[in-house]
Amino acid sequence: MTDRFEIHQKNFKELFYPSSVAIIGTNNVKGTVPHDILINVLHTGFTGKVFPVSPGETSVAEVKAYKYVIDITEPVDLAIIVFPSSVCHLALEQCGQKGIKTVIIISAGFKEVGEAGYERELKLKEIAEKYEMSIIGPNCLGVINTDPGVNLNASFARKMPEEGNIGFLSQSGALCTAVLDYARAKHIGFSKFISFGNKVDINEIDLLHYLGDDKETKVILIYLEEIKDGSALMKTASDIILKKRKPILILKAGRTSAGASAAASHTGSLAGSDEICDAAFEQAGIIRCDNIEEMFNYAIAFVYQPLPENKRIAIITNAGGPGVLTTDAAIKEGLELAQFSENTTKILKKNLPSTANIRNPIDVIGDAKCDRYNIAMSNAFKDDNVDGVLVILTPQSMTDIDLIAYEVVKVAGQYNKPVYTSFMGEADVSTGVDIVQRNRIPHYILPESMCKSFACVYKFKERSFRKTVENEIYTDIDRSIAHSILDEAIRDGRSYLTEEESVRIVKSYGLPALKNGVAKSGEQAVQIADNIGYPVVMKVISEDIVHKFDVKGVELNIKSAEEVQETYSSIRRNVESLQPDALIKGIFITKMIPAGEEIILGIKRDPSFGPVIMLGTGGIFVEIFKDVCFRVAPVSKQVAISMIQQLNSYQLLIGKRGNPSRDIEAILNCILRLSQMAVECPQIKELDINPLIVLDENKGCFVADAKIML
Amino acid sequence: MDKNEVQKRVKNVVATVLKIDEEEIADDANFIFDLGADSLRSVQLIAAFEEEFDIEMDEDKALEIQTISASVDFIASYLD
Repeated sequence: MTDRFEIHQKNFKELFYPSSVAIIGTNNVKGTVPHDILINVLHTGFTGKVFPVSPGETSVAEVKAYKYVIDITEPVDLAIIVFPSSVCHLALEQCGQKGIKTVIIISAGFKEVGEAGYERELKLKEIAEKYEMSIIGPNCLGVINTDPGVNLNASFARKMPEEGNIGFLSQSGALCTAVLDYARAKHIGFSKFISFGNKVDINEIDLLHYLGDDKETKVILIYLEEIKDGSALMKTASDIILKKRKPILILKAGRTSAGASAAASHTGSLAGSDEICDAAFEQAGIIRCDNIEEMFNYAIAFVYQPLPENKRIAIITNAGGPGVLTTDAAIKEGLELAQFSENTTKILKKNLPSTANIRNPIDVIGDAKCDRYNIAMSNAFKDDNVDGVLVILTPQSMTDIDLIAYEVVKVAGQYNKPVYTSFMGEADVSTGVDIVQRNRIPHYILPESMCKSFACVYKFKERSFRKTVENEIYTDIDRSIAHSILDEAIRDGRSYLTEEESVRIVKSYGLPALKNGVAKSGEQAVQIADNIGYPVVMKVISEDIVHKFDVKGVELNIKSAEEVQETYSSIRRNVESLQPDALIKGIFITKMIPAGEEIILGIKRDPSFGPVIMLGTGGIFVEIFKDVCFRVAPVSKQVAISMIQQLNSYQLLIGKRGNPSRDIEAILNCILRLSQMAVECPQIKELDINPLIVLDENKGCFVADAKIML
Repeated sequence: MDKNEVQKRVKNVVATVLKIDEEEIADDANFIFDLGADSLRSVQLIAAFEEEFDIEMDEDKALEIQTISASVDFIASYLD
């Protein structure tokens, strides 16, 4: 981690728990940001001292004002700058002179407005580094800490949120206000709420690390628009998830933005920035959310209820239809309906009406009052086969919604198993919903969201308790071969390697390549083919040709010397006709191996996450079938296995429907060696091995074609 | 008109519009940071300068002027 990171972690105490705050650039004009921020700090219970700084006023909001922050004789822990962007640097310089270590710059008008604004931001960063200050912003909503020991609302949000255990970080200030209002309606509280704006200094990695250690924060939510350092994000997140068991949920905007490269390689065209982001988050254990509602649906499940031991649920409903819907949703999400014990079944049968359904889902039927809900819930909780309870209510004319809500709260408090609710409807159920929400029982408008949330929490629990495996480093490789080929090509100003060079590189890392040779004449081609053994494959070598099939530059299954001679000439003729400007360096000849499963392996270097490995069902239709998956290198054996299992063609590889089972170990070996190459050879921009031909179990695999871009 | 005269009259206008003591206005004072001008006052200052010096200024350029000394130079360029 950098020095700036260490400085920020040291300064965060003043940022979140200041004893004194100066609001610099404030004024008496109500309804303006400079005024409203001061009011928020003053009137939402902040326990420390407040100093307005305003060159044009002697007092603001009836509090003595200072012309400059350096005029304040007492120490100031936190400064909030609300001046126009053109003079923020003047205010910041004075903060530095005074020894203030943490500053929030609310003002807009920086890099988001263009070059001039970007220059202003750089000035701020320079001053922060000079005085070892930490800056949040600029162009942000501010920071909120609901800890009753400080009650800090250093923002221009409308209201202070309720105290809670959710830490929220956002790159968008406007989204923050919408989120605060949404959460308020549902009585969802926050520990810390931070809008970090343009992140000229403090960024999401710094804040994530802080919240990972913050004892008031049990789950971390992040809204991001860009990820500059993906690998740092992955490392910080996975440390928090594995060591602190804190879930991290990210809503990352820009799913639909174009990110794939211009089809230089199959890997390049398939590995769009969003696919890589998905893969990276999955690998780090980050839960990626599609929208705000989903994010909070998951968050309240994590924060309000214990994690389930397993995935066996009991569904309790007062209506058959919603019970069936919930069952469908639960199964779809991979949950199981608990099988009640004989004892539970006996008690339910004795205490519920004969018309009730006592299997799972338990249908306490339409006229149920709170006593039936009590019986159903209590006995479900007591049953050792039940890991969690989902309670559904529909508002019949006789349904005591509020009483049932209180009953749910009461019974849930007696057991250490999770309970989630869905009071279906909106108007009549609203007071009951309010009761469960205020009492930290997760509520969902739809049973489907309820099941999805339970499944999410269960998967997190399973994953975060899994042991991690160290990455294997292969020592039986020859890096010098790879580096000398790559470095020479770069010195020559080339952007592609030939197939022969690419194969030599992958072979140097222990991937199984076939015997091969390069022919510069028909006679030489025959000699090489005789040496390799028939049948052979012949391919044109040219840096100018990316897809050899497109120019008829590949011939398979050549069985004799005569065919070799003829094919040598025909390939040259085809290329000269279809791509006359291509410089032909020779014909690459390699052994033709028996049929096997075609797999594609690839590397792509992502600007944010670094080297990414791709595995997929290969061949020439790879971009049509798109049965591919990605992981960020380095990849452990555990992760590589998950890649193979993720493929649709996995069922074929393990020998279903009469297919022979293929050599999975060989694929695994190739993934791990390729991962090591991706990390150790930064000169490689993109790499395709397509196909890697995988033979039957224990028979190995072979690289049939390789392409490297620099 | 020499620059000293321009500066004297600029400070007089600023003192009037911002309702501050002319003696408190330093030669290199920043309108926002030192003198407390907000966006409304900034526009009023431009109008007041135009009236005082009987000139018509490019408003966009005028709004970029941040200090007393820069405004003296800017106005002087219109008077030359």
